[in-house]
Amino acid sequence: MYDRIMVRFGELSTKGKNKKDFINLLRRNIQAKLISQFFHFEIETYYDHLYIVFFEEDPYLMIKELQEVSGIQALSLVTKVNKDINIIKETAFYLIENKKGETFKLIVKRADKSFPLRSEEIIRILAKEILSKTNLRVNVHKPDLPLNIEIRQEGAYLFFETFLGLGGLPLGSSGKVMMMLSGGIDSPVASYLLMKRGVSLEFIHFASPPYTSSGVITKIKDLVTTLLSFQDQIVLHIVPFTKLQEAIYEHADESYAITLMRRMMFRLSEKLAYKRKCLAVASGESLGQVSSQTLDSIKVINEVSNFPILRPLITYDKNDIINLAKRINTYEISIIPYEDCCTIFNPKNPKTKPRISEIMKFEEQFNYQELIAEALLNTEKIILKLEK
Amino acid sequence: MIYLDNAATCKPYLELLDLFNEIEKDYFANAQSYHQLGLLSLEHLKKARKKILTSLNISQTHLAIFLSSATEANNLALKGYALKYQKRGKHIILSNIEHPSVIETCLQLKEEFGFELTFLEVNEQGMINLDDLKKALKKSTILVSIMAVNNETGSINLINEIAALVHQKSLAAFHVDVTQAIGKIHLNYQNIDMFSFSGHKINGLKGSGALVIRKNISLLPLLSGGQQEYGFRSATSSVALASTLAEAVVISLEKMKKNLAHVKTLNNLLHEHLSKRKDIKINSPSNGSPFIFNFSLLNKKASVVVEALSNEQIYVSSFSACQSNNKGFSYVVKALGRTELEAQNTIRVSFDYNSTKEDVLAFLKAFENIIERIKG
Repeated sequence: MYDRIMVRFGELSTKGKNKKDFINLLRRNIQAKLISQFFHFEIETYYDHLYIVFFEEDPYLMIKELQEVSGIQALSLVTKVNKDINIIKETAFYLIENKKGETFKLIVKRADKSFPLRSEEIIRILAKEILSKTNLRVNVHKPDLPLNIEIRQEGAYLFFETFLGLGGLPLGSSGKVMMMLSGGIDSPVASYLLMKRGVSLEFIHFASPPYTSSGVITKIKDLVTTLLSFQDQIVLHIVPFTKLQEAIYEHADESYAITLMRRMMFRLSEKLAYKRKCLAVASGESLGQVSSQTLDSIKVINEVSNFPILRPLITYDKNDIINLAKRINTYEISIIPYEDCCTIFNPKNPKTKPRISEIMKFEEQFNYQELIAEALLNTEKIILKLEK
Repeated sequence: MIYLDNAATCKPYLELLDLFNEIEKDYFANAQSYHQLGLLSLEHLKKARKKILTSLNISQTHLAIFLSSATEANNLALKGYALKYQKRGKHIILSNIEHPSVIETCLQLKEEFGFELTFLEVNEQGMINLDDLKKALKKSTILVSIMAVNNETGSINLINEIAALVHQKSLAAFHVDVTQAIGKIHLNYQNIDMFSFSGHKINGLKGSGALVIRKNISLLPLLSGGQQEYGFRSATSSVALASTLAEAVVISLEKMKKNLAHVKTLNNLLHEHLSKRKDIKINSPSNGSPFIFNFSLLNKKASVVVEALSNEQIYVSSFSACQSNNKGFSYVVKALGRTELEAQNTIRVSFDYNSTKEDVLAFLKAFENIIERIKG
C-alpha cells in the first residue's frame, strides 16, 4: 500500500544558498542511520522534500530510527501515484476503504500549480467517489481518517499520519564541538541538544584514579554508546587528571578546590578542542545548580579560555533535564552511583563567589602548565561506532 | 594478581571444572528419563546427594535439595516453610545481621503475607544473646533463622546452643545460613533443621547451591513443574553442577583442619600489622572466622583505597557510601556498635585455602603505601 516515507525539512527550507549542502548532509546522515539496520531502500531528493523508497522493510521501524536524525521536521508514510485524477481517485478510495473509521476529511495541497484541477475540484471529485461507495461521513474537525493528497511536480502523494521528527539542523552542519562529559545526568542531555542543533561532538572525560572508580569509564562508554543513535561515530578522550587534582588539593584552600579544578578542566578542554579542530567547548552546566555553576563562579572559570563555551542547559531546571535524560535513555546510566570527579574532595563550604585574586594566588603556587601538558600527552583516545 | 575477596566468591578447584565437563559430556541425559542413559544420570545425582549428607553425618536424618545458589536456598527455606506451615503461627525470629537474602525474604513475608518478625540484636562480637532469643520465642513462632558465620565480619554464632534452645522452648524450625561456614569452621549439622549454602564460596562452581532439610519437613515449592528435587524445586536437574557441589563439600571438609590452621596464621599476620595503626578500627571479632578480616578506615575513603589497590591488581572488598545500594553504610558493621561514619568506610579482606603469606604481605605493603599517598 505505502511505498515511501516523506521527509520534511522544516527549518532547513529557510537556509537559502546553503540549502543544497544541508540537504546533502541530511541525506548522508539518513543513509548512515538506516544502513545499520535496513538493506532495501533508496533515497530520492527533491527541492524541499526527501523520500525514502523502501522494499520489503518495516516502514514504522524506519520512521522510529529517522526520528533520531536531527534536521527532520516531520515524517509521513506515503503512496506515490501518477498525476492522473482517475488514479488519484482510485488510490484515495482504496486507502480509505482499507482503514478503520467512520468519518473522513480530505486535505489537498496543490504545490504543482500546473495541475489542471484546483484543490476544491479535486476534493469534490474524491469526496463524491468515497461518499457514494462507502458509509463514511465527512467530519472536518475531528475526522477518523484525515487523508492528505499532495500534488507535486514529480507525482501525487497520499497519506494519513504525520510523525514528528527531532527538528533542528542536520548533524555536522554546525561544525564540531568538544563536549565535557562527567558521567552525571546533565552532560548527556546537553550533548543531545547540541547534536540536535547540527553540532557533531567529540567528548572529553577527566579520570582521577583511584579517586574515581574505573566503573566510571564503563559508564562513560555506555553513555556515549547511547548517544550513538544521534551521531554514528564518536571520539572520546579520557584525560588522566589525578596529578592535577592532587596538586590542587595540596596547594589550594579547600573551598577553592572545585573552582580550580574546573579551571584546569576548561584549560585542558580548550587545548584538546584546538588540537582536534573543534570550534567550541561545551559543558552541561546549569545556572545555580551547584556552587561552581553560579554566575560568579562561571565568570572566573570561563576566564581561562578564549574559546566559545557552549552551555545548552544554562537555563534548564533540573526536572526538565531529568525528563529529557529519560527520553534519550541516558538517565538510568547516569544515576549508577560511582565516584566521579565531581563527588571526590567534596569540600564542606565550596565558594559560590570565588575571588580571582585568591585563585591567582593559589595557581601561582604550582606548575600547573606542566601538569596540563603531561595530562594531554597521556590522554587516551577511544573511537566508538554504531554497531551494524 | 592478588585475590583476597574470597568471601565474595573464590576460584574453583580445577578438578571440579574437569568433573563438570566430564559429567556434562558423558551423562548429559535427563535424570528423569527412563532410558539407560537417563538412569546413569540419576545415579550420579543420587551419589552427589549422598556424598553431601554422609560427609556431614546426617544421611539418616536429612535430605539435600540442589538449587542454584545460597540465595535461592534461603528463599526456599524461609518462604517455603513459612507459607507451608503458616496455620501453626506467623512469627519469625532472625538476627539483624543476616544476609540480604534472608532479611529481604523475611521482609517480603511480612509485607506481602502478614508475618510478624523479631530482629535480634547482636553484641560487639556479632553474636545474638540467648536470653533475647528465649524471650522472643512464643507460641506462634514457627521459624528461627540465624546465620553461622557473617559474610561481612566473620562473626560466629553459637549454633549448637541456639538449636538446643529453639528446640527446647518451642516447636519452631531452626534454619541456618551456613554459606560462609561450611567446610571452613567446625559445625554440628545434626541439630539444624534446615541449612543453606552455595558451591562457589567453597571453591565450587557458581550456579550451584543446596538446601538441606530434616526429612520430616515439607516446603511450599517456589518453582512448580516436573517434581524434581522431591517436588520442592522443579526444573531439570544439573547433574554436573550437583556433582561438583558434592565434591567441593567433601574436599573442603577433608582439608578443613589444615586450611583453618593455615588461614589463621594469615589472619594473625594481618591483625598484627593492622592493629598497630591508629587510623584503623578492626571490626572482625577475635573469636570470629579467620577467613574474614574486616576493618574501618578512620581518615580515608575505603572506596578510594580499594580502587587504588585494584589498580595494582590487589582485590579486596569495600563498603562505601557512594557505591552502596541503599543505606549508605554497612548495617552489619553498624550493628556491631560502630558509628555510621565507621560503617561507611569498611574494607574486607577474605582468604581461601590458596591464599599465602606473600599475598598478605603484598597487600599490607600496597595498603600502607596507598594510605600514605592518597589525599582527602
